[in-house]
Amino acid sequence: MQKYLAIIKMQVINNIAYPGDFLGRSISIGIFLFIFAGLWGTTFRIAGTDSINGLTFANMMWYLMMAETIELGRPRTNRIISEQVKNGEVAYILNKPYNFLLYHFSFGLGDSLLRVGMNIVVGLLVAWLLAGPPPSLLGWGMALVTLVGAWILHFCMMALIGLAAFLVEETNSFELIYQKFVFVLGGMLLPLDMFPEWLQGVARALPFPYMMYTPARLFVKPDVELFWQMLGIQWLWVAALVFLLAIAYRGSEKVLTVNGG
Amino acid sequence: MTSIEVHSLHKVFQTKRKAAGLGASTRALFKPEYSEVEAVRKLSFQMESGELLGFIGPNGAGKSTTIKILTGILHPTDGDAKVLGYVPWKERQKLAFHIGTVFGQRPQLWYHLPAIDTFTLFGKIYELDDREIKKRIDFLTEAFEIRDLLETPVRKLSLGQRMRCEVAASLLHRPKLILLDEPSIGLDVVAKQHIRDAIRRMNQEEGVGVLLTSHDAGDLEALCKRVIIINHGQIVYEDKVSNLKRKHLTSKLVEVRYAQEVPANFHLNGVEILKVGRYGVKLRFDTNQTPVDKVMAHLSSVGDLVDITISDPPLEEVIAKIYREAAK
Repeated sequence: MQKYLAIIKMQVINNIAYPGDFLGRSISIGIFLFIFAGLWGTTFRIAGTDSINGLTFANMMWYLMMAETIELGRPRTNRIISEQVKNGEVAYILNKPYNFLLYHFSFGLGDSLLRVGMNIVVGLLVAWLLAGPPPSLLGWGMALVTLVGAWILHFCMMALIGLAAFLVEETNSFELIYQKFVFVLGGMLLPLDMFPEWLQGVARALPFPYMMYTPARLFVKPDVELFWQMLGIQWLWVAALVFLLAIAYRGSEKVLTVNGG
Repeated sequence: MTSIEVHSLHKVFQTKRKAAGLGASTRALFKPEYSEVEAVRKLSFQMESGELLGFIGPNGAGKSTTIKILTGILHPTDGDAKVLGYVPWKERQKLAFHIGTVFGQRPQLWYHLPAIDTFTLFGKIYELDDREIKKRIDFLTEAFEIRDLLETPVRKLSLGQRMRCEVAASLLHRPKLILLDEPSIGLDVVAKQHIRDAIRRMNQEEGVGVLLTSHDAGDLEALCKRVIIINHGQIVYEDKVSNLKRKHLTSKLVEVRYAQEVPANFHLNGVEILKVGRYGVKLRFDTNQTPVDKVMAHLSSVGDLVDITISDPPLEEVIAKIYREAAK
């Protein structure tokens, strides 16, 4: 266990090796929120209403703040695995006494911890400025709890895509497709509440809403019953994807060919 | 005791083949063609514990593939291998505690952080306690003369400095065996010397076995007691380095300078004259065919000798000759 904590710590240190770059990246959430504020401000004005499908302008802004925090802070495991397969560095990762997937889990977590933290800080300041005070403490609590499962789901998806690199090396296109699913069906661009019923049904049958919509929705409109329901389904998806990942890893390990051999 | 046993190891890679141009690329999309490359062919050898074994071969000979199979990263197509009693591709993690690896062309140190951070991380990964990690780092920094480099971000180190840190990092967990894949690639003479000295020291003091691949004959000469030369995935030569020299370093290069002018018709049977200058001669001969004393006697009979240099041809030439002979 200690070794995985050490990897998380190392990656945190690695992230602050270039403070300028780190701060620069943290600002992007602020820029996105400014753009969204303009878009949604206009939408609400033109619609001449205070609330669309139960969500106010302030709800929208805090929803997007949480969704962007997740999107900008999620692990990039597939890119790291692809890179390591392409440049052959994977040889060093594979011949150390740790579990390959737990290594990447820790690496990704170390990466995300700081980014999510900074995104929350910058996002909080900017969203407060644009939309007034943040949601209740209950909302924060539910968001943070469901954030854990959301992060693990993202990790599993990214790692699954990353393992494809053992076969095809380059996985960027898969990530783009995945990202679009999360954007639309995960409720990243629009909360699912804005969708027609049938599309909401489709989305809810897939893991994507539990990666993005769940924490963001509970953040702005905390609801105890919904919380337990979503948390339960979220962790069922976690169990399913972890299982799938373990199988995929077993299969892909054998086909790996280290470049430059 | 044996530390590596390899028997009939075989590895075939499938590579996609595609002719040039758009048409061929489109066809390859629908009907990809593969060709098989036999990277390692029925390779068998043994290595004793604590041995310094050189694994020499030209690019693409199968050296790295063999090392990757022996560390458990690649699964062989066929054949058996045991490293320190483990079957590498089945017990990779258990084996990892006892071996160290350096792939000369790839960094394992975290690029943006000082080497000391990676050392500490590796200590944790290999499950050493904090006191042991500190003691080990102290020892290695002294052995590899890297004390002043430890706190500099790795990206700011020169290649030679970095490689010393890389090799030191691979020894952190007191492995019984280290596999060095081209550790001296791209290094200057001084940096090579540094690395070789440190490796030799670790071998003598800690009994670490060293399997070293290189296409630099200098590494072999300076470090290894025994050598295996492979080409096209097969062993073409296997013997002690001293025997390799004795059997194959039979030709001598001689350069002589005289006090007087050298006669224009300078000639000696069984000796190849490479160059005749006004006051000097350069020649080569094979000691098996022409006795050394005969050559020396003739050279001194020509005039008053001012200077003489006798040297062996570079080991590289010898190895190249072995490759050529194997190819025939």
